This record gives sequence, structure tokens and C-alpha cells, in this order.
Amino acid sequence: MTVLELRGVRHGFGGRVALDGFCVEVGAGEVVAMVGLNGAGKTTALRVLAGRLRPDGGAASVLGHDPLNLPGPVASRFGQCVGAPLAYPELTVNENLMAAARLHGLSRSDAVRAAAEAVERFALSSWADARAGSLSAGNWQRLGVAAVTLHGPDGLILDEPTSALDPAGVVIVRDVVRELAGCGSGVLVSSHHLDEVARVADRIVAVHAGRVIGTLPPGEGDLEQRFFAMVLAADTQGRADA
Amino acid sequence: MRGTEMGAVWSLELLKLRRSTMARLITPLLIVLVPLGSVGAVALARSPSLPGSAAAKFAPYAVGDLMTNHLLVVGQIMSVAVLTAGGFAAAWSYGREFVAGTAGALAGLTAPRWTVGLVKALLLALWLIACHAAALVVTVLLSLAVGGRPAGEVGLQAVIAMVAGLLAIALALPFGWVATLTRSQLGTIGVLIAIVMLTQIMVVLGAGAWFPYAVPSLLAGMGGPDAAAEIGPGSIVATAVLAPLALVAVTAQWRRLNAT
Repeated sequence: MTVLELRGVRHGFGGRVALDGFCVEVGAGEVVAMVGLNGAGKTTALRVLAGRLRPDGGAASVLGHDPLNLPGPVASRFGQCVGAPLAYPELTVNENLMAAARLHGLSRSDAVRAAAEAVERFALSSWADARAGSLSAGNWQRLGVAAVTLHGPDGLILDEPTSALDPAGVVIVRDVVRELAGCGSGVLVSSHHLDEVARVADRIVAVHAGRVIGTLPPGEGDLEQRFFAMVLAADTQGRADA
Repeated sequence: MRGTEMGAVWSLELLKLRRSTMARLITPLLIVLVPLGSVGAVALARSPSLPGSAAAKFAPYAVGDLMTNHLLVVGQIMSVAVLTAGGFAAAWSYGREFVAGTAGALAGLTAPRWTVGLVKALLLALWLIACHAAALVVTVLLSLAVGGRPAGEVGLQAVIAMVAGLLAIALALPFGWVATLTRSQLGTIGVLIAIVMLTQIMVVLGAGAWFPYAVPSLLAGMGGPDAAAEIGPGSIVATAVLAPLALVAVTAQWRRLNAT
């Protein structure tokens, strides 16, 4: 079953093409990682899938629905963290998690439980009653990932979820993602950390110039070398086509 | 959408407002400083040591019933203060979501984003109404403490002060729309300043009665009794209608939010 999907998505900012027929599909129980250079189109693709950007063309689907108009029951099975997290600096860590849980459709009592579990899971106990604005960049990122995973979503989008994390935080996020996938969730994650995505992903898609240029099996050989070879081939092909 | 989802948005927005430096500064300013200033202004007007130029300025408050004058002054100050405070609050409440990027993080939740835009406006209105009502009550209490008595035209003046403040609140709500349009807190403050300047021009040109942003202060008597008398039901309705229009407009904006 397809959980997250972009089909032939096109989008431009001004005269610059950001997405050029972008296609990606994530099935239930699957973790798909997107890797690409800066400006390749990863974040733009995730914003379209998260319902934050209306594309010029193509189609997006989250759990079978248009992400721009997710019905409440479907939204309660979805989570997205692209850019700024769902967190406010003047609220405590616990209050932020409670708010996130309730906004993801949990009842007050379930939200209390989910927030407490998330605090433990993301090793934020020491800061549970601290204002989020006082957190380090790494703990702020932990809070952001916790806020969109604490309700156990069936579809999850994460943009660079480990960029500010220490090794312990990376392991926590990796375990949470794998656990969700083990429970049947489809997860689409973008990252620049090729070693990290090789550990967490079932499938890696290489993104370049606004489109997916190929798939990299995570367990085979030098991932970095294969990625750059793929980018070079795409550029060479692009110049030949031009 | 269920009530619990809307309730989650209300809880979050209320908590953010309670924690905000903006609300913590503006609330005491409105409900303590403005009443103190109003009572102080009337006391100053009746002081024999007031120099000539200032005495002329304060002359309208130097005669007549004490409490009526207190309510006259607080109504005039609040007609401007509530609008300014509401404009700043709207700039903060809406603008911050774009500046910090949380407008995007609010996508894909069980409560659709239009509910966030609507709740922000409703909460802003309720908070300002509470502040305005509290300011009038505090003014009456201070007036009683300095010898004012509820007599004469006190009731009418209280109604005028209340209506002027409510109209000013209605005029503050469109700044949520402005903040969403500009996606900028400072940009919204800039528009607020421009509107205040434009209001001055319209009043000088004699068109204040039909320029909504001039109506609350003219009704409160800032332009004198003649200008206040020009504010009829038509002017009041034309001003008040901006509140529901603002609610509809900002809700529609947040329903169609793009590129967040």
C-alpha cells in the first residue's frame, strides 16, 4: 500500500525550476531516504508532500488524500517536520509536546501519556519543564522530531532530522524511525548524511536538478562514490539532451 | 472537524498569548496605566497651578461632573490605545508564525490551518475586550476613590467609552489579515503607522465621520462635541462591520496558505 507519493510534480520559483517531474513513492513499512546536493529539490518536494506548497503541476498523495486538504482522521495518522518544527520557544518542552499531541488528534489523557513517553524516548527529561527557547540546537531538533512522531503516525516526512544532533540523538531518531516503519508506517526522510541514511533507509533515492535520477541500494559499496557518479551521469545526459 | 481539535488550537493560542512579552506589557498598560492617566489628566485640568497653555488644552475636563470627565478621558485614550495595542498584538500573533516558520509546521494537523487563523482573531478580540472593560472598571473605581460619584451623564459617557473601545477593537482585527499578507511583523506595524497618519489627514480634511479608523476617537470626543455629534449610526455600522469582514478574510487567507 502506498502511503506517500509524488507523481510528476513540477514547480518553479520565479524563472528557476525547482521540481521537474518529481516522482517518489513510499510504501507501508518502508523508510525511503532522499539524498541530493543543496538546491536539488528535496525540501521543495517534501513541502509539496506536507501540504505546505501548492505545486504548479503533478499530484501529491498522503495516505490516499490530497495533502492540501487532509481530512481530520487522516491528518491524525500523519506527521511532518520540514524546516521549523512544531514548537514555540516560550512554551516548555512538555507543553510543546502536549500541544503537538492534541493537534495530532490525541485526547487530553492520551496526550499527557504520549508527551511523557516522548520526553523519555528523546532523552529530554532534564528539560521537560524548561522553556524550549533555552534548548540547545540539538535538543530543539529532538523536540521537533518528537512533536511529529509522538502520535505514532502511519505516514511521516522528516527533512534533515539529524542535522544538529549528537551521536546519541542520531541513534534515538534512527530507532524511532525504524520502530515506526516496523509498525507499518511509511517514512520519507531527506538527509545529507549518506552514512546515516544507509543505516536507516530501506531505499535511497538520489535527487538532482528537481527530479529523482535513480535509486541507491543502501547496503552496497561506497554510497558517496555511487551518488556522485549518478549525479555526473545525470548532468552529462542533461547537457547531451540540451 | 471535532470540537476537541478546535479546543486544542484554543489551548495553544491562549498559552502563547499568556506567555508573550507583548501581552504581559500591554495588559497592565491598558488596565492600570490608562485609567491612572485618565484620572490624573482630570486632576491636572482642575489644578490651579496649571500654566496657561496647558490649561487651555485641558479646559474641557476642568468643569462638570468628575466621574463623567474621567470616563470621557479614558474613552478617548482607549479609542487609540486599544487600536494600537491590537495592531501590535496582531502583528505578533500572525507575523511570528511566518517569521519563525511555524506556519508551515501547522500544516497537516487534525485542526486545519484556517482554524488557527480564526482562533487567533477571536482570541485577540476577547483579550482586547477584557482589557477595555477592565480599564473602564478600574477608572470608575479610581474615580470613586478620588470623590467621583455616579451621577449626571456618567451612564451615557460609560456607554460611549465602551462603544468607542469596541469599535477600536473591530478596527484592530484587520491587522491579522495584513500580517498574513505581508508575512512580516514590522511590515504590519508599518501599515498600522500609515493608517494612523492617514486617519489624521482624513480628520483634518473633515471626512473623519466616514473614515472608519477615525470614528472611535471622534465618537469618544477627541475632536470635540461637534465632531462627536457627526458620528451617527451609519458611521458606527460602517466601522463595526470591519470585524466580521476581517474574520472572514483572515480565515480565507489561512485556508489557502501556500509556500510556507
